[in-house]
This record gives sequence, structure tokens and C-alpha cells, in this order.
Amino acid sequence: MKQLTTDVLIVGGGGAGLRSAIAAAEAQPSLSIHLLSKVYPMRSHTVAAEGGAAAVTLQHDSIAAHFEDTVAGSDWLAEQGVVDFFVKHAYQELVQLEHWGCPWSRQASGQVQVRRFGGMKTERTWFAADKTGFHILHTLFQTSLKYPSIHRLDEYFLLDLLVHEQAIVGVLAIEIASGELLQILASSVILATGGAGRVFQFNTNGGIVTGDGMALAYRHGVALRDMEFVQYHPTGLPGSGILITEACRGEGGILLNKDGYRYLQDYGLGPETPLGQPQNKTMELGPRDKLSQAFWHEQQQGRTIQHPQGDVVHLDLRHLGQRYLLERLPFICELAKAYVNIDPVTAPIPIRPAVHYTMGGILTDAHCATSIRGLFAVGECASVGLHGANRLGSNSLSELLVFGKVAGEQAAAHCSQTKVSDAVMQELTDKAAGPIRQLRQGDGTEQWADIRQQLAQTMEQGCGIYRDEQGLTASLLAIADLKRRYQQLKVGDSGLAFNTELLHALELGFSLDVAEAMCQAALLRKESRGAHQRRDANYTKRNDKNFLQHSLAYYQEDQAPRIDWQAVDCSMMPPAARLYGDAAKQQAASTSEKPV
Amino acid sequence: MKQPETKPSDMQHLSVAIQRYRPEQDDTPVWQSYQVPYDDSTSVLDALHWIKEHQDSSLTYRWSCRMAICGSCGVMVDGTPKLGCKTFLRDYPQGLKVAALANFPIEKDLVVDMSRFLQHLTTIKPYLIGEPSLVQAGSASAGSDQPSSAALQPQLQSPEQVKRYQQFANCINCGLCYSACPQFGLNPEFLGPAAIALAHRYNLDSRDQGKAERQPALNSKDGVWSCTFVGFCSTVCPKGVDPAAAINQGKIVSTMDGVIQWFSPKQLDATPQEPTS
Amino acid sequence: MSRKPYQPSMPADWWLKHPAYRFYMLREATVLPLLFFIGSLLYGLYCLSQGEASWLVWLSWLQQPWVMALNGLALVASLFHAFTFFRLFPQVMPLRVGSRTLPAGWMIAGQWFGVLLVFLALWWLLGAYHVIN
Ligand SMILES: Cc1cc2nc3c(=O)[nH]c(=O)nc-3n(C[C@H](O)[C@H](O)[C@H](O)COP(=O)(O)OP(=O)(O)OC[C@H]3O[C@@H](n4cnc5c(N)ncnc54)[C@H](O)[C@@H]3O)c2cc1C
Ligand code: SF4
Ligand code: FES
Repeated sequence: MKQLTTDVLIVGGGGAGLRSAIAAAEAQPSLSIHLLSKVYPMRSHTVAAEGGAAAVTLQHDSIAAHFEDTVAGSDWLAEQGVVDFFVKHAYQELVQLEHWGCPWSRQASGQVQVRRFGGMKTERTWFAADKTGFHILHTLFQTSLKYPSIHRLDEYFLLDLLVHEQAIVGVLAIEIASGELLQILASSVILATGGAGRVFQFNTNGGIVTGDGMALAYRHGVALRDMEFVQYHPTGLPGSGILITEACRGEGGILLNKDGYRYLQDYGLGPETPLGQPQNKTMELGPRDKLSQAFWHEQQQGRTIQHPQGDVVHLDLRHLGQRYLLERLPFICELAKAYVNIDPVTAPIPIRPAVHYTMGGILTDAHCATSIRGLFAVGECASVGLHGANRLGSNSLSELLVFGKVAGEQAAAHCSQTKVSDAVMQELTDKAAGPIRQLRQGDGTEQWADIRQQLAQTMEQGCGIYRDEQGLTASLLAIADLKRRYQQLKVGDSGLAFNTELLHALELGFSLDVAEAMCQAALLRKESRGAHQRRDANYTKRNDKNFLQHSLAYYQEDQAPRIDWQAVDCSMMPPAARLYGDAAKQQAASTSEKPV
Repeated sequence: MKQPETKPSDMQHLSVAIQRYRPEQDDTPVWQSYQVPYDDSTSVLDALHWIKEHQDSSLTYRWSCRMAICGSCGVMVDGTPKLGCKTFLRDYPQGLKVAALANFPIEKDLVVDMSRFLQHLTTIKPYLIGEPSLVQAGSASAGSDQPSSAALQPQLQSPEQVKRYQQFANCINCGLCYSACPQFGLNPEFLGPAAIALAHRYNLDSRDQGKAERQPALNSKDGVWSCTFVGFCSTVCPKGVDPAAAINQGKIVSTMDGVIQWFSPKQLDATPQEPTS
Repeated sequence: MSRKPYQPSMPADWWLKHPAYRFYMLREATVLPLLFFIGSLLYGLYCLSQGEASWLVWLSWLQQPWVMALNGLALVASLFHAFTFFRLFPQVMPLRVGSRTLPAGWMIAGQWFGVLLVFLALWWLLGAYHVIN
């Protein structure tokens, strides 16, 4: 087995991982930093983000407004201290990216342009055409090449963390090309492994988004927080789930049911706004959970449109005109043409909700530290407390930057000489290599593809846009059964070199654990909040008395996780009703009338 | 991945031949044929998934985003470099042949060794070089209660200035252009289309002052002058980057450099200086 | 070692393997008939310097079918080369007018227009020559 010693090890080459690598390198140039990723960094799924990154920018905007939008968007389940830190630092981070060369879209004056985004009061979303994530990721990747202390381990797969006496001492990884194991010694490790959207059937996520880091930290006793909150994006393409960005609606796109009616006005998001005059937080610019739920109701009432790949509604952009569409949404035009054979200039795009984002993740404090000493987590795999029950679009790209920097600096400051005996290292490594050894030798009858497919189906059925006790219980049983079958897995490819079947099998093992945590937390959250909506008679409303709390899922071998509850930091803005459209304006008017 | 609503058995089938290479058992690549169910929306990548899940789980290929933006899934389809996720079976009614990207060493099946490509990208210093002016008059000012107003502010750049380099910033590093380039096939030291396009992207950026640092690599024999303008790189590029344009615009820059150096009195110390910071 | 990368080699006839390469080779091959054309011109110049008899020999040489055919080919080749060159030109030298890049189609059309002007000028010159004689 190969060995390597480093100061700071970062697992994940997406936006969060790259930002923390740069931060660590800038904080202490003498440190040796390794960036390990199962794909080349620029393949990470940050690349697919289209819409933009939020930060208070305009004169008439304010930090307080961004704070309020985020907390209200989270249905009061965000950590308010964390949100406060975030909104105060987002702007600096976007400017930093500008100085690193990010091709932000500009106004005629040369200043950075901002666009509207769902759930935000004011235009504050920076964008680079409709390929914001792509440009952010490539800018970060290319900038990272400037730092001689950042060494990359491209196409290495993280197998396990090596934890000794509640402190991280390194990791075990596999070099994908050769299939050889690599033991890495490090006293600071950052997990930046992204979300877990692939546990669902219809999703906007890339094939690599399988919850690996979440599952590994979880198996080592770190809690997964708020896992029941899974965001559906209202506008994915039917079949593939490929994302059609929210920016389409920000630019004035409208949603129509089979009668050509803008149905959102029936769901507390109205009144209807005139064509071509989108209004923040109203109609099509309402938050994602509300829009996805509205689709569900329309579908129940038979008002959706039949499409070869399932029920859809229409996203109509035609009134924006060819020139505007090609300038502002070129990638959307390309995607629609390639994947549903529709030219948005002349026809509406068929869309349906698709799983998009995991709000929950590895529990960290405000400094990205987990309960294991030296182990940090950041980005979509982490739950630093920013998104609560529902993430606002364009907050997460900024999150990668703001907290990527924090994590990098913290990890650099923490790293120390690890002193663990060789015997202990040997023992930890042996244990860590267990699962892969078992898979390589496994001689069962089960195929990973079948299990994965059934997992995705049961999640969609039991843990989808609307949930109830019966469905969730059924899903939990199904998952327990799939986990048993997983033990009987047979990996057909017996080769060492580039064995993607083996990797898929490992990812499936991670996904099963993460899915189970989602269902269990969802089952025990007996209320409806943000992205978590229950249909059971008594649970259809938000219940602050019992559930203004984070769920914490703790791993238990051979049974569903134990769920604990953690108080929420509501110190700055007390819970209130979460309203959009006209209702929100009335609320705002009535509160501003009150004497302060 | 895509799950067609209709059952595979009711669907039309197409013959997909795939070049296999399993390093632990083959000495040279071999062809293997599969019958794959397909409909109007089945991409080459979907076909590979179907084979891996139903016929041969050892089939190996790279992919992730399945939406033509991550650059993982480049393969040769009937001898032309393509993104698997953006190439559709419907366009090959007679069947198709899929092989690993040409001009790269093959690791396994459709997976090639990209390290040379990454090395070339690194060589051209693809990042902004030079001290940005810290505070620009009239730059976008942050909201009223922005904490530190003396901090970094965005530099100004007009939409026209963005447009100058934007096309070359759209490269997804898929490597198709390297597979299309016979000069890279003959000489892997050639920096190649995407790397030169990226260098050009930064050279054209109004915020950059690093041209002098990038130019030596571009002017060298493995730089722009290795290109004979076959132009196929630009044809196959899935993102309209037009790397051939970048290289040949680079030749003009390189020539001007040469001319200027020729006439420059201090010919001997014309080597670029590290920018002082 | 489980890794054993297979290094494919470029076959000597790589340029026959893809329509795009054949097109490229054809473009490069246009130089051959053009060389012949230049050769004939040089031969003509030489003959001119040798006096009228020699000049007449050259003229009759020129009228041989195979020479005419090759020179015809050279004309086609040069037009083809112009066609490929004009198409590549906007890539090498994009022209910007104000904030917009001139569409490639316009530049290509412009170049052919230039060719037309040159033809017309030649035509006119030749016409004037005939009138003088
Ligand atoms: C289609 C789409 C559009 C989006 N649009 C927006 C938007 O407009 N605005 C916004 O704010 N947010 C958007 N988001 C959300 C946002 O893009 C993501 O939350 C964010 O990019 C996640 O970044 P990350 O760095 O945490 O993870 P990723 O970019 O997913 O990177 C994860 C990294 O971890 C590595 N990794 C994972 N597992 C392992 C392992 N076992 N071993 C080794 N390496 C591993 C991977 O290789 C990868 O490099 C969008 C998301 C999607 C899917
Ligand atoms: S220039 Fe085009 S073909 Fe070449 S790597 Fe970039 S996107 Fe791919
Ligand atoms: S899978 Fe990402 S480009 Fe094809």
C-alpha cells in the first residue's frame, strides 16, 4: 500500500473543496495541501450550477434584507448567527472571485450585473450568463494552479476516514486508475464531497453526487443534521431531470398548466403579475418548495400535461424573444434543443420537479468543524446551518465560497504533527479497507444496478414532495431490505484498474445509509416545514412548539438511525409566518406600521 | 439516469459496437457489439449505461453531469470525437461504433489518460496575472450596511470587454479537440487547442497583465507554430470555443512579438520579467 | 501493475481516415497544380527573353491539351484554396465594429467581392489592351 503524509487534506474538488484549498494555501504557504477527488476537479457537480450566486450588492439592498430572506426561506430553521456571518461575507467573496478572473455578466457601465432570484426581495444574484457554476468552478480550479503548495490527487476515491480517539489521523483512498490503496496521514481533513441527490430517481444531479462524505462521517459517529429537507427544483426536464435554471423565471418566464393557465396564483403566490414584469417573491419567483408543491397539486387534479416521459407543465419563455434568450440563457436554449428537442424561442419547455439539493448534511459548528477533532466539512455535504428547511436559490454557491474560506483557514490553523503509532495506523487502515475487500471477494447474486434503481424508486415514492407515515415506513423497510441485499453484492468486474463497477457499489453503500437517515428524520418530524411536507392529518402545518428544532441522525449499525433534536438559533429574528406574493406585502405593511 | 417509460422490449434496438480494452487481459483493443434499446431521447451515454447495467457490468467509461457541461464523457463515435451525453442514437439509424478518444493513451475501454492534457493546461498559466487595482472609482457599491467599505471592490469590465474573451472561457476541458488534432497525435508535446485557447482567453482579458509570462510557451516550437490549421478541432468542439481561431490569432500575436523583439534595441534582455508586486 | 495504458500510434495514412482530414489534405495539395502554373509562367518568361520564335514555341506549348488541363486545374485549385482561406480568415482576424464582431458570413462575402473587383479590373485592363491593338 502506498503512503503519503500531508498537512491539510481536502476531499472534494468542487467549489467548496477548491475554495478551501486556496484559503489554506494563502493562510500558510508553507503547508503541504492535498486535494483529493474522485473526478478531475472541473468535473465536480458545481459545474452544473446555472443561475448565480447571491450577495448584497445594490445601494437599495441591505444585509438585513438578505438575512431576512434567508431565514424566512429556511422556515426559521437556519442558524441565525451563521446566516448573519454569511450575508456579511458573501459580497467580499464574489468580489474575490472577480479578481481571480470570473467572467461575471456586466452592465453597460462595466459594473457587475445582478439578477432576480426566487425568494429574494431584491436583485442580488451575480451571474455569468447561465453557466455561473461552470465559470466559478473553472475560475477556482485555474486559480488553484497558481499555488505550488496545492497538490492534486485526481481520480482518487475516498474509502474511509481514519479516526483515533475522536481525532482524525488520516484517510484511506484508492487510486482509481490502478486500484491501489493509498493511506494518507493528515491531522486536518476537510470533507467537501457534495450532496446526495442521486438517491432519488428524478434529480438534477450528476452521477457522482451520491453522499459519500456524509455517509463516512456519519458512520464515524458525526450527526447528520436536517436530512429530511430535500429540495425539489420545480423545473427539471422530464426523463433526465436536467435542470432548467430558475433564472428563466427571474428573466420573466412563466409556468402554465394544460389549460395555459398560470396556476401559481391559486397557491398563495399571486396575484398574477403582468407578462414580462416578474416580481420578486411573487408567482413564478416564489420559493422552490412552494412551486414544486403546486405542481403536485395540479398533477393530482389532472391539470398537468401528458409527455412521453411523464406528467409535465410548461415553462414559457417565448415572449422574451430570440435575441434576449440567446444573450441571457444560451445554455438553456442548448439544453432544451438537445434533450427535449424544443426551441424555447418558438415553443414552451416541458418541465417537472426534480430533486435538486440536500439542505441537511454533516453537522458542523459555525467554523465548519465537526465533532471529530481535525475533521471539517463544507459545501453541500455539510450542514453549517445556513439553509434550514429550504435553501434559497443562489445562496449555496456563495456558501461554498464564504465557508470554503473558513474551512480552509480553520484546517490550516488546526493542523499539527500527528503522533499515532504505526500499529494503530495499521489497525485503522485494515478496518477501513474492510468494505472494499468484502466487495472484491463478494460472491453473492445481487447487482448494484438493481439495488440502486430500487432505492431511487422507494425514495421517490415514500420521501418525495409530500410524505406520510405510511409511505415513510414502507421506504424504511424497503431500505433495510436493500441493505441486507447489499451484503450479497457481486461485483462482476474483477479487475483492479479503473473498476467503476466497484466504485458504484461503494457509492451505493454510502447512498443507502444517507437515504435511511433522510427517511428516519422525515418520519419523526411530525409537522410540515419548508421542503418537508407531511400529508398526515395532524402534521400538515408548521409546529413551532415541538419542532422548531434541528433533527440529528446518529448512525446505528443494523438498524435505522437514532434521531435527536437540537435547538435552533433564533436569537435575531423570531419565527413568523412564511408568506409570499401579496400576503407577504400585507404582512410587511402591517409590521412596519407597528411602533418599534 | 434516464428511464424510458416504455419497456425496453417494446423499443427499437440498435447495434452499438464498442472498442474494449481491459489492461489486465487484453494486449490491444478489441471490438464488441451490443443490441441496445433506444428511443428518440437515448444518448450514447444512456446506451453505455444500459449495457453496463444489463449486459456487461465491466464496461468502463467516464461520465457525470449528463448535460454536456462537465466534460467527462468524450468518446469517438464513428471516428469523430463527440460528447457521449450529447450524441443521440436517433442520428445513427445504421448503428454506430464507439471508441476511446483518439490520440490519448487508453487506460481501460473508453477511459483515456488525460494527464498530458492537464499538464498542458497548467503550462500556459491559466489565471489572472498582475496586481488588480484595488478600488475602482464608480464600481458597484454594496448595500448600505456592508461591513468593510475599504475592502476589495470589483474591477470594471464592459460587456464588450467580456465578449472579447468569453467564447474562449467556455471550454469544458473535454479534450475532443485533442482527439481531432493530427498534430497532437504526432507530437503529444504540442500544447494543443484547448490549452492555447485558454491562454488566449486570459491574454484577451482586460484585467490581465500576464501575456509576457504566457508568451514563451506559446511561441515555442510546441506552441502555436505546431498548428497547421487543420481546423477540425473547432468543428468537433461541443461548446463553440473555436480553438483554431485562438491558435491562429495567437500566431499573429507571436509574429508581432518576434517583429518587436527584432527591432527592440535590448534584444538580449527581452525575456519577460516577473511582475513586481 | 494493473495499469497498462495502451498507446495507439498514428497510422501513416491517418489523413485518409476521416473526411475532415481528407479535406485538409486536399487544401494543402492545391499547392501542386499551382506549382505547375508558376513553372509554366517562369518558362514563358524565359522564352520571352530568348526572342520571338521561342515565345511562339511557348504559346503553342501552352495550347497542348494536357498543359491546358493542368492550368485549368490550377485555376480550380486556387479558387478552392481561396474558398478555404476566406472561410478561415474571419477566425484568424475577427473584425470588430464598435462592440460587435463582424459576422463571419459578411467577411467571407466581402472577400469574394474583392475577388470579383480584381477580376473586373483585369477584364477592363485586358479590354483596354485589345482596343489599343
Ligand atoms: C443543476 C444544478 C444547478 C444549481 N444551480 C445553483 C445556482 O444557480 N446557485 C446556487 O447557489 N446553487 C446552485 N446549485 C447548488 C450548488 O451548485 C451545489 O450545492 C454546490 O455546487 C455543491 O458544491 P460542493 O463543492 O459542495 O460539491 P460538488 O461540486 O458536488 O463537489 C463534490 C466533490 O467531491 C468529490 N467527491 C465526492 N465523493 C468522493 C469520494 N468518495 N472520494 C473522492 N472524492 C469525492 C467529487 O469528486 C467532487 O469533486 C445547483 C445545483 C445543481 C445540481
Ligand atoms: S476547446 Fe472545445 S473541444 Fe477542446 S476541450 Fe474545450 S470544449 Fe472541448
Ligand atoms: S457527462 Fe458531463 S459532459 Fe457528458
